[in-house]
Amino acid sequence: MNATSEQRSPFSRRGFLGLTAAAAAAPLLAACGGGSASQGGGGGAGGTVKFWDMPWATPAYNDAAKGIAEGFNGANGAKASYQIIQWNNFYQTFSSAIASKTGPAVSTGGGFQAFQFEQQGQIAYADKVIEKLKSNGQFDDFLPGVLDPFKSDKGYVAVPWQLDMRVFWYRKSLFEKANVALPTDWPSLLEAGKALKKVGAFGFTTGAGAGNNYANHSMIMMMVNNGGGVWNKDGELDLMNDRNVEAMEFVLELVSNGIVDPAAVSYTTDNMSAQWKDGKAGYGLFQVNVPQRVGDTSGDLLVADPIKGPHGDKATIVFPNNIMMYTNTPSQEASEEFLVYYLGQLKQLWQKKLMSALPVFKSITEIPEFANDPNNVKIVKDWQPIAKTFAAQGNKLNANLAALDGGQALNQFSQTIITGKSDAKTALQTFQSGLESVLKK
Amino acid sequence: MSSTTTQSGLGRARRGLAPGGSGTAPGKRKSKLSAQATRTFFWLLLPSVVLLVLIHGYPLIYAAVQATHDGNLLQTGNFVGGQNFATVLTSPAFWKAAQFTLWFTIVGVFGSWLVGLGLALLLRTKIPAGGTFKVLLLLPWVVPIVVSSTAWNWLVATPDSLIPSLFRNLGMGTPLFLADPNLASITVMVFKVWVSFPFMMMMISAALASVDTTVYEAASMDGASRWQQFTQITLPLIARSTYISWILMTIFCVNDFPTIYLLTGGGPVNATTSLVVLAYRTVFQDFATGPGVAIAFLMTMTLVVISVILYRQIRKSSVE
Repeated sequence: MNATSEQRSPFSRRGFLGLTAAAAAAPLLAACGGGSASQGGGGGAGGTVKFWDMPWATPAYNDAAKGIAEGFNGANGAKASYQIIQWNNFYQTFSSAIASKTGPAVSTGGGFQAFQFEQQGQIAYADKVIEKLKSNGQFDDFLPGVLDPFKSDKGYVAVPWQLDMRVFWYRKSLFEKANVALPTDWPSLLEAGKALKKVGAFGFTTGAGAGNNYANHSMIMMMVNNGGGVWNKDGELDLMNDRNVEAMEFVLELVSNGIVDPAAVSYTTDNMSAQWKDGKAGYGLFQVNVPQRVGDTSGDLLVADPIKGPHGDKATIVFPNNIMMYTNTPSQEASEEFLVYYLGQLKQLWQKKLMSALPVFKSITEIPEFANDPNNVKIVKDWQPIAKTFAAQGNKLNANLAALDGGQALNQFSQTIITGKSDAKTALQTFQSGLESVLKK
Repeated sequence: MSSTTTQSGLGRARRGLAPGGSGTAPGKRKSKLSAQATRTFFWLLLPSVVLLVLIHGYPLIYAAVQATHDGNLLQTGNFVGGQNFATVLTSPAFWKAAQFTLWFTIVGVFGSWLVGLGLALLLRTKIPAGGTFKVLLLLPWVVPIVVSSTAWNWLVATPDSLIPSLFRNLGMGTPLFLADPNLASITVMVFKVWVSFPFMMMMISAALASVDTTVYEAASMDGASRWQQFTQITLPLIARSTYISWILMTIFCVNDFPTIYLLTGGGPVNATTSLVVLAYRTVFQDFATGPGVAIAFLMTMTLVVISVILYRQIRKSSVE
């Protein structure tokens, strides 16, 4: 039939024209993207420092943070604007904005984001900020060890502002009902789990469903708690070490004894919070401020003691969340001035009880609004000193950690373990292969 | 009644003709435009064409560049030719995701079509409170996917959720719909059918509305049974709509990210990871831009092939 050939011919012409025009337009668009300098404008010679922040807690947090940012009044009339960036696709949001030079001058973000963008030459080092913090006394106020991970060979990549720590929580009434003592080591964790199971509760509460990283964190925590970790002291991949294998064999033992909820592999963080609220969760790893998060401030949810691994090790994991500066700024001086100002105002966020994380400044841990909560005090006293980053067994943060944190390899590994679908060595081997394939060579 | 008569009546009906209709095909008109008019059309179309090329062409070309380079979202990196495609095609994760995508698409397309067809036929009959019923049936399509996925999560996620509890109370154990790999796959597919059937229902309803009811009377007078009317009149007359809806639904299913990601995140242990979820995770979780874009390219090529095949079917059905 003729219609076919009649239809093909114009299609081909259109396709050719389209491709030609697209090819012609590509450099044009690239040039447009590359040339747009959107920073600055308004606010006088200091310009407007664009500050991007994440939804770290309830909307009230962002309202307060916006108030602080917009209260900035720097030298030469420098001001700051505030924008919330959602966690969904955040890396894409930052990348595309930075590529088109419409990104922030200063931002919070993913725990290892500063190192990722440093690799691409987009980060402004914070050494001058550190100098200013030394001169105004805030430098000495940092909790021990929180600043060191951000020091690279070229300078400070970012400045920490809060610690997202993982600690064990327990429901007191369930332990009383099960008539069992709080775990102090792995064998007693196993015994407590068995006793909790008898009263219909779980002794190793976790979740690995959509958007839920707690199972990932639990796996790494157990490795670190046993003196192991994903990397060796030199920062090389070291998943197959004996401590890791031992830790995962122990978690598999918890799974086989029904101490981990069989449905946990699909639990979102909301599902997990519901387990805590509904009295199904007896013991498990969670963040700071769990009672407020799950909506049970009766005093029945408490921070547990750190537990000892079979070789006497005690440790947990912490994500030192940070504020970073970018090279694309209306004024580097204004960015630095804003960052120093913002760090000085952080106390307000804890005074208003808006944070679900630990502060990095000792002075904030001492304010009544923070220190009146015995759970907070216990975390600062017992857990903060033993906390290690995702870089453990080493201690230097780097861009590779982003591929570990929330990547497919870790997620698949933790799901495999908590469903008990594999032995420890095989699961670790698969994890190692998956991670190797995405790490920067 | 002779079978010849019946077939003849059905044949006319299949072409959408009322008894006694002329049978003249819609015009094969060929209008010759003047050179002036052609130029005017060209200039009027030009802004739209340029916009389309910029909006669709530029990302496509940039994606092709990314797929053949080893860079990241900010930097293009070095040219690596087809290495990213080779990496993807030799990866077991890709083939597992492709297999799930295939099943998800087959169940999504035909499941939603069957349910939509059944309900569209039901809506042609006079039922009490038909208007309200129609609105209720449209709800799964209208409600934002993030809301419906959350609702489904509440229904099935934990052993104490409503549906597992019902199973337990009926003595059928406590199925873990999202935790068991096989059940999670089925749950995601059922969710997709639930979300999509209103679209199919509307497409089919629109097609059915254009069918002259007298063709059924003619067929009935010729002695055609209900089943014969359905298979010989209804299905052929809605064939074009069906093929179009299949093309669209195939594209919706293959490209469907939120339905899967919001409900299961691709788990457990990658059981519900489709190609688009894998592409997303590869780019934005593993930061492997080249392989991730290569997956997207392979998906696009597959969709183009499927669309061309189905488009040919549409043309065949219109030629008949």
